[in-house]
Amino acid sequence: MQYDLVIIGSGAAGLGAALYSGRYRLRTLVLGKEFGGETAKAGTIENYPGTPAIDGYELMSVMKKQAGALGVEFVSAEATRVSRQAHCFEVHASDAAYQAHAIILATGAERRRLGLPNEKELTGRGVHYCVTCDGPVYGGKKIAMVGGGDASVKGAILAAEYVDKLFLIVRGKDVTAEPINLEKMKALGDKIEVLLGTEVAEIVGKDKLEKVVLSRPFKGSHELVVDGLFVEIGAMPNVELATVLGVGLDERGHIKVDNMMRTNIDGVFAAGDAVNHFGAFKQDITAAAMGAVAATSAYNDRKVHGELCEMHAVPALNKILSV
Amino acid sequence: MKNVSIYSTPTCHFCQAAKEFFKEHNIEFTNHDVSTDAAKRDEMIQKSGQMGVPVIFVDDEMIVGFDEAKLKSLLGVV
Repeated sequence: MQYDLVIIGSGAAGLGAALYSGRYRLRTLVLGKEFGGETAKAGTIENYPGTPAIDGYELMSVMKKQAGALGVEFVSAEATRVSRQAHCFEVHASDAAYQAHAIILATGAERRRLGLPNEKELTGRGVHYCVTCDGPVYGGKKIAMVGGGDASVKGAILAAEYVDKLFLIVRGKDVTAEPINLEKMKALGDKIEVLLGTEVAEIVGKDKLEKVVLSRPFKGSHELVVDGLFVEIGAMPNVELATVLGVGLDERGHIKVDNMMRTNIDGVFAAGDAVNHFGAFKQDITAAAMGAVAATSAYNDRKVHGELCEMHAVPALNKILSV
Repeated sequence: MKNVSIYSTPTCHFCQAAKEFFKEHNIEFTNHDVSTDAAKRDEMIQKSGQMGVPVIFVDDEMIVGFDEAKLKSLLGVV
């Protein structure tokens, strides 16, 4: 299957790219492992212009619909392999292979783990990484949330609607959420208790989480008995496919792009949480904007390189693949 | 017709995706909101041994999470 552009990733960056690519009339395919990326898990989005408050999954669904109406195709599958032959790419997902003149890596980021013993074994059994998914399961219970950033505070606010008590465990000296979210959290009063300068040192439990051990005592004890532990400590960029293609990364492991979202490899563009643009400021508005720019660069690239992929690379690629 | 049920929460996007999948393919299903129904929450934990949603049953077959390929196979959806 031959496309002008294959977008890998179906979060805000991928869908922002898809909208523009559709309007540029590029034959476009979006491949996505998890529809909606981080936005779909984010709960209510209140800072996307034009939408005062919208559920993240709903926002992603609207973006998909908007791009789909322009002829953009979607396949719900993980891109597992990518290769390059001259100015042509082949992307494998499930049992299918897709050829493209250009690709946009909108591969997003993977939630960071605490890296503690027992964490993997108790995932889903008290240890969780998606508060919008599993937070409401803990109705009337006591939970802890790890992380002092905006995602953690938003998660705490959401979970507080259901749980009896929430402990926000913050490694640093401050909570660094958006002021408006800090105000919302403070308005919840004693329901959320913030433990600053504290880390989770151990996760204790056999078949399910029983308690956590803290790095410093809280109310006279290192042990904190909770039913659930939610981890919101940021994310690591997904750069496996980028690495295979020889795309350059920065010192923090993000894809290096210029201000037009071009990587060091011709025909490879990147956008969203996996790239180094906008630094640590990871928002839907920035991700979608990066996607729009990446699609524009792919469109301009297509104009310059014309039909190179179809003329030269695909027969050669097919020959290699058939050996 | 297979008996399909889903244990879900209202804010879980994977649960929404699963329910949209059922609707798209005209598959009738029973939804258990475990954020409000404590008995069904306990039942889900007892059956699945874990607290993550969604938990989906197609007759006696249990799927934890939204596994579209597996659901298609179990439900005979192309």
